[in-house]
Amino acid sequence: MTVELLSANHGAALAATLAARANRKGRGFCSGVYPITPSTECMEYLCQQKIEKGRVIKVESEHSAMGVCIGAAAAGARSFTATSSNGLAYMFENCIAAAMLRLPVVIAVANRTLGPPWNIWADHSDALTLRDHGLIQFYCADNQELFDTVLSAFRLAEDKRVMMPAMVNMEGFILSHTVAQTNIPDQAQVDDFLPLTDIPHRLGDVPHTLGQIEVPHQTEVHRWQHHNAMLDVPKVYAEIQKEFEGVFGRSLHDIVVPYRADDAETLIVSMGTIGVTAERAVDMLRAEGKRVGSLRVRLFRPLPTDAIRAHYAGKKRIAVIDRNISLGLGGILWSETRALADPGAVVQSYMAGLGGGDVRPEHIVKMLGDLEPRKIAGPPAMMEAV
Amino acid sequence: MERKIPADSSIAAASIPLPAGLTLPLEVRVHGRGGQGGVTCAKLIAALFTEMGLFVQTFGDYGSERSGAPVQAYTRVDRVAIKNRNKVYRPDHLIVLDEGLMGAQVLEGVAPGSLLLLNTNASPGSFAGRFERYRFGTIDATAIAREQGIGSTAVVIINTTILGAYARLLGLPLSVLEKAYTSLGLGGDLAAAKHAYEQVRVSEAVREIEAPAVSAAGAPPPAVAAMLGHSRDFPATLKTGSWSNQVPVYSEHPAPCNLACPAGNDVVGFIQALKNNGAEEAAAILLRTQPLPSVCGRVCPAPCMQACNRGAFDGAVNIRSLERWIADHSTLKPTPQIDEHPLHVAVIGGGPAGLSAAYQLALRGHSVTIYEASPALGGVLRNGIPAFRLPQEALSRDIDRILKLGVEARCGSRVSKADLDRLAHDFDAVIACVGFGSALDLEAKGGGLDGVEQGLAFLDRVKRSGEKLKGNVVVVGGGNTAIDCARTALRCGAASVKIVYRRSRADMPAIAEEIEDAGHEGVEIVPYRQPVEFLGSGAVSGVVVAEVEAGPPDASGRRRPVVTSRTSSLACDKVLLALGQKSEIELMPDGWKMKDGRAWLGERLLPVWFAGDCSTGDGTVTHAIGSGRLAALAVLNGCDAAQDGAGAADPVAPGQIRFSHFDVTPSHKDGQLPPAALAGNFQEVNLGLKGPEEAQRCFSCGHCTHCDTCLISCPDGVIVRIADGYRVDGEYCKGCGMCVAECPRNAMTMQDKNHKGVRV
Repeated sequence: MTVELLSANHGAALAATLAARANRKGRGFCSGVYPITPSTECMEYLCQQKIEKGRVIKVESEHSAMGVCIGAAAAGARSFTATSSNGLAYMFENCIAAAMLRLPVVIAVANRTLGPPWNIWADHSDALTLRDHGLIQFYCADNQELFDTVLSAFRLAEDKRVMMPAMVNMEGFILSHTVAQTNIPDQAQVDDFLPLTDIPHRLGDVPHTLGQIEVPHQTEVHRWQHHNAMLDVPKVYAEIQKEFEGVFGRSLHDIVVPYRADDAETLIVSMGTIGVTAERAVDMLRAEGKRVGSLRVRLFRPLPTDAIRAHYAGKKRIAVIDRNISLGLGGILWSETRALADPGAVVQSYMAGLGGGDVRPEHIVKMLGDLEPRKIAGPPAMMEAV
Repeated sequence: MERKIPADSSIAAASIPLPAGLTLPLEVRVHGRGGQGGVTCAKLIAALFTEMGLFVQTFGDYGSERSGAPVQAYTRVDRVAIKNRNKVYRPDHLIVLDEGLMGAQVLEGVAPGSLLLLNTNASPGSFAGRFERYRFGTIDATAIAREQGIGSTAVVIINTTILGAYARLLGLPLSVLEKAYTSLGLGGDLAAAKHAYEQVRVSEAVREIEAPAVSAAGAPPPAVAAMLGHSRDFPATLKTGSWSNQVPVYSEHPAPCNLACPAGNDVVGFIQALKNNGAEEAAAILLRTQPLPSVCGRVCPAPCMQACNRGAFDGAVNIRSLERWIADHSTLKPTPQIDEHPLHVAVIGGGPAGLSAAYQLALRGHSVTIYEASPALGGVLRNGIPAFRLPQEALSRDIDRILKLGVEARCGSRVSKADLDRLAHDFDAVIACVGFGSALDLEAKGGGLDGVEQGLAFLDRVKRSGEKLKGNVVVVGGGNTAIDCARTALRCGAASVKIVYRRSRADMPAIAEEIEDAGHEGVEIVPYRQPVEFLGSGAVSGVVVAEVEAGPPDASGRRRPVVTSRTSSLACDKVLLALGQKSEIELMPDGWKMKDGRAWLGERLLPVWFAGDCSTGDGTVTHAIGSGRLAALAVLNGCDAAQDGAGAADPVAPGQIRFSHFDVTPSHKDGQLPPAALAGNFQEVNLGLKGPEEAQRCFSCGHCTHCDTCLISCPDGVIVRIADGYRVDGEYCKGCGMCVAECPRNAMTMQDKNHKGVRV
């Protein structure tokens, strides 16, 4: 193992490279890529790597990039791509195809808001457009976590009980372009950790069709199978965590990350890098004697309702901070989890850091100042992070 | 930027000791402009700290603006892994890559006693206490990086340089800097970093506020905006021109062809005029400097084509033949100016230099008399260059144009020493253009045999009266005269022609195409041979040639021929000598001396100028034309002939042409007379171009063609068309250099904004 000074974009590409090489004795690796800010560095790095039995194909659009990944996975290869923002939006149709065809493509998304008007900076609104279509979604907070999650996503996505695409999210620039020390395992360790890709329904010697027309009943069955496979993810992931620790000698983050939450009255809930900022705010408020804790949701699809419900239990006030907005509703994490709190708890939606605003601990303290006197939740509130 | 750090735990072992006095956690903020390398600078700082076994985190604060916009970058350093994901608001160390950025905004959050490192060419004293609250370092990293050639023509990259200064302020020994640069793979930039390390100047913070920097944890947090209804919007009225430290300057630069032309022709000018406006307008430009375009368009060795930047892309522009096209397809006759007080000038010699001098003077309204020894004007053009290369009509057309300006020609008047002395008294000025002296002979036994003669005499005779040859001919020499003799001999009926030359074929000074054509016509070239004896009784019947070896290079760079004792003989019936001509002037009256192109009698300067081969010995028509023109201008200025109006600027280099903007288009080749029996056939061999399309291939190096590439490439749309080109709006130009990087022909360059005389 070595420690490398890497940006998260490069970390994601390096994780994909190691996973790709780990399949050299299997059916190899193939990736379609197309650049877009702030994800470009990831595909650039991947293009520079020499991968035995692997190819990275530069195509003319994100739609085609995912098309290549679908073809590769349908032929039984390991596959990966990276994109952002409107690039992901353009990839949307084929992302759904990859999911519905149950192909385990791993996608690294450097989250960036959607335009126009154009803004190249981070929020989660790009990835969340794909929340309902059968792709696993992780949201990460630092370089090491991102690297580890991309690597593990291959194992998770390719598990026969799961068998679907996995998307690993990092906020554009805030994480994608941040350089920090990252532990990089040796190829032999990755070979141990990742079994050879085996896609049972791949196009092989026996001719068959993928994605042919189906009647209503078949659609109902397939959706239900897909949904239940998603529900299995936390269980499979827990197994992978054990494997990970065994092979690499360090732990893989849980699907939710609580911080000083057990005895808290007030809980700050968030995803991505705002989660670690929330932890710093918790420290500031704890120093003032306030019983505040934080919960960072890493796995958003499938939504780990049991884990979240367990952490919501007993909390009087919950501030859900979304770096996104579902226009006409409010924060998406808030809307999905507010029903998991105890009856009578105040679950308030705050949206902050849209389009890349720098959300600082002081913003979070201010939100909690707003939350503290509330008896009931108000309408979703927007915080201007300037 | 990646590199491997051997890991025992999760953090690298310290390979550099921590400098004394460094307080952790440490936050560094770098301010620069897009394109200066500020983000990389922060990454390099982070890498430097990893060498000390510390945790780092570094990131840029990217703008949506492009190059030139203010950019910040941050580095955090700590003993434990860093959780903070926010920007740096209270830096302990502030590095400013561009003095133009200095202001309240940049200093925001910087506590007294913090470290401030500024890239500036001003001395620390000139800031008059502005930064006395800080530990303040200054370094002119831009000058160092520019000197070391780090960056591009558009933007100097200073990050690796300023890191050297920063290392010094951190208190790292130079050896550590060297080690860090080696391990970061920045060895190439180490020299610049060392200069910065040595040159950085520091003034300590004033004593009463020398307290260590207050780190973010202890300071009151910056204000947080209230939750707003988001009704407020931001006006977009940034005058982004204040961001720039460099500006594009729209200006012409000398094209290599123009600088290479010995005649001083505006090559780019006439080709572009031909392309845009046709042959007449092109002729108007060409005829400013070139009185003999029909001649030069045929026989010029074309140094312009050697210099042509297109040669490095898909083959030089066929400039010589474009000149011919213009000469053959225009009817322009320049009219002389009227000079109220015309000078009376005598020109001695009606060759290219004399014709050129006479032309320039007559154009300007002066009275010129040419004294020519031969029965007709033209000199070597008339009696030396064979008709199959330069037809009579082409030469006559050019000479008629000159005579129509009112030039008087006195042909058949050989000027003696006494005549020259008299002319110097009778005329306001005399320009002597008498060419080379007599032809050089070969010191070899049998040189007096019949059939051994000077090639020039042979060529002259053939042109005057024709000649029939039989048998085998040997030509001695390697210049254009030798080739002309050989090809003429074939046309006169020689059964075979061999050229004997003492160096290699590649060393032959003749025009390459002519050598090739001679080969196609059947001339055999015998290199590395020197005639040592002519055989025969009465008439020549053979030549004994010695083998020559290539010795060490001489002053011309060519290898010196070393004659050996190994000989062989060639049977022949005629030998033509083409060994060059003497350079002495046989015309000088007693006591006269030539110096710097002028005649002197003792200390007295005489009104006599020299031009062409008798003065410069360059030996080409185009050099003679240039020399004649300069002599004429010198007469008019009453000064020395050596100067030209052209500046000493460097020509546009191939690297400054954006080849990617041009399609590969092979050069248009000259038509050739179909092969036919040569005997008696003096028809012009080269038929020239079929049309003027070749002009489209000219890059127009350094000369704007109004192609709009700069305007289209400007990310901010601040370049506008004006009558004679383009204007860059300095209020908004951020100095990104895109227009300069994209200009296909180097008609724009970047200059420092504080550069003297820069106007936008």
